[in-house]
Amino acid sequence: MGYIAARGGTAAILNAEVLVEHYRLRGDTPPLTLGQVQHQLRHAVGRAMHEGALYAPQLAALAVKQAEGDSIEASFLLRAYRATLPRVMATLPAQGRSMQCARRISAAFRDIPGGQLLGPSTDYQIRLLRAALARECDEDIARIATLVEGFAATHAGPDVGHFPKVVDHLRAHQMVVPVPAAVDDAEPFDITRQALQFPCPRSARLQALAQADTGSLLTYAYSSVRGYGDAHPTLAELRYGHLPVAVAHPVDGSPVWIGELEATECETVSKAHSVRAGDAAPRFHLGYGFTVGQGEVKAISMAILDSVLTQVRSGGLSGESGPAADEEFVLLHSDGIEASGFTAHYKLPHYVTFEADLQVLERAKRHAAANAGGRLGRALAAAFAADALTEGTTADA
Amino acid sequence: MDDDRTMILAASPAAAVCALAEQVLARHAAGAVQWIQPPRLALVQLRVAESVAETAFNACDVLVAEARVELAGAFGFGMVLGDDLAHAAALAVLDAAARAPGGDPALEAALAPLGQALRAAQQRRFAVSAATRVMFETF
Repeated sequence: MGYIAARGGTAAILNAEVLVEHYRLRGDTPPLTLGQVQHQLRHAVGRAMHEGALYAPQLAALAVKQAEGDSIEASFLLRAYRATLPRVMATLPAQGRSMQCARRISAAFRDIPGGQLLGPSTDYQIRLLRAALARECDEDIARIATLVEGFAATHAGPDVGHFPKVVDHLRAHQMVVPVPAAVDDAEPFDITRQALQFPCPRSARLQALAQADTGSLLTYAYSSVRGYGDAHPTLAELRYGHLPVAVAHPVDGSPVWIGELEATECETVSKAHSVRAGDAAPRFHLGYGFTVGQGEVKAISMAILDSVLTQVRSGGLSGESGPAADEEFVLLHSDGIEASGFTAHYKLPHYVTFEADLQVLERAKRHAAANAGGRLGRALAAAFAADALTEGTTADA
Repeated sequence: MDDDRTMILAASPAAAVCALAEQVLARHAAGAVQWIQPPRLALVQLRVAESVAETAFNACDVLVAEARVELAGAFGFGMVLGDDLAHAAALAVLDAAARAPGGDPALEAALAPLGQALRAAQQRRFAVSAATRVMFETF
């Protein structure tokens, strides 16, 4: 494709940017504070962070405000900001087992070790608009605070929310595929430094999925579940809470804890199959999903796709078919920022390339007319031949 | 103990950690702190251990504040999630104090109440969620 830069229009461009601010503020309402955005629009903030691949809640709140709630634009702003700072090291691998859970459920087993916590969830709420929320006032805030104080008083205890993993329980009972004997402990692939090539390492797949657009992952995972594939997942465990993070001390490499971040982690199990003679014993396959923030749709979609793509790689009995089974297709088309950037560029001037398209259209019309037959067609064909000769002469000159 | 110390100090309120660093600096001569890396914002790449193949992958970057100091000949490293440069600087000073020959008994003593407060806050946070513990009945 060939593009040509356009010049001029500076005043109009600057005025357009003023209009963006005007449209945001013209409702004559108080400006949103970052605290309001961070705490009352926490799913929008979380989505901006995991799709922008930068955990920074306050900056994400700013991005959501600046983008007027557009999740892709907000994540774009965060990813651009990320490029302005030096990356000084990687953390020690954070373990989901060390999460202090606020929520932890399983759709596979009713009685999981440690029990289930619904946590902050609307899973069992009827989706009706709550008209009272439009009139929310200080009394409503106080009422919720009182209820939560009651929760804390009633359930006070020494626990901080550590739970065993359901996947460990499944492994102990030999229900799922074992951990590969040759664990890949090489340095994880980094898609921010190296271009993806296929087949890609597992670490590259998980990184690409973790920063992908939620809607894209949902679409691919849903397609595989619904019939354009053969995934039949069950949620082994979904947990959300606070994940402690450590780095290695620069002198002796000992762990230095630097805080905790909100994260969602999940594992899915696929349906079991009978196996061919000589194959390994029948087992459930696993899929892994992770996001920062409370991003449950994304974590589940990621786990489904991880399971499908793993089974494709291992020649499993499900997951070989459908668009979601094509790793290259899924990973190269699920980054929201790349995809939206490509779409957005169509709004920029393409005058020269489109002029070429117009010329092609004109020639195609003449060809069609010339091939129409009849006396008129023959006349047009002659005219077209003469025209082509003239063009050739001109070009040769 | 280093494990506990860094976990407590990173998760405690920045004001309390800065106050603790002030107490440490008060026991040293003025100018005892040399900045090897003045407090700055930076990124660390969040590496996650996934539970299927037990490998690690890079999930995203995390905004951190970081500082490195030399305090009376001891190296100190401070890093904390977020953008609180003062918190990072205080962590670096406290790390240097703890790593100095003989450590800093006063610092050790001061950590205990911070650790108790942190534990209480974590227990309360979980108690709120514990109210949603569920046991579904099956037919």
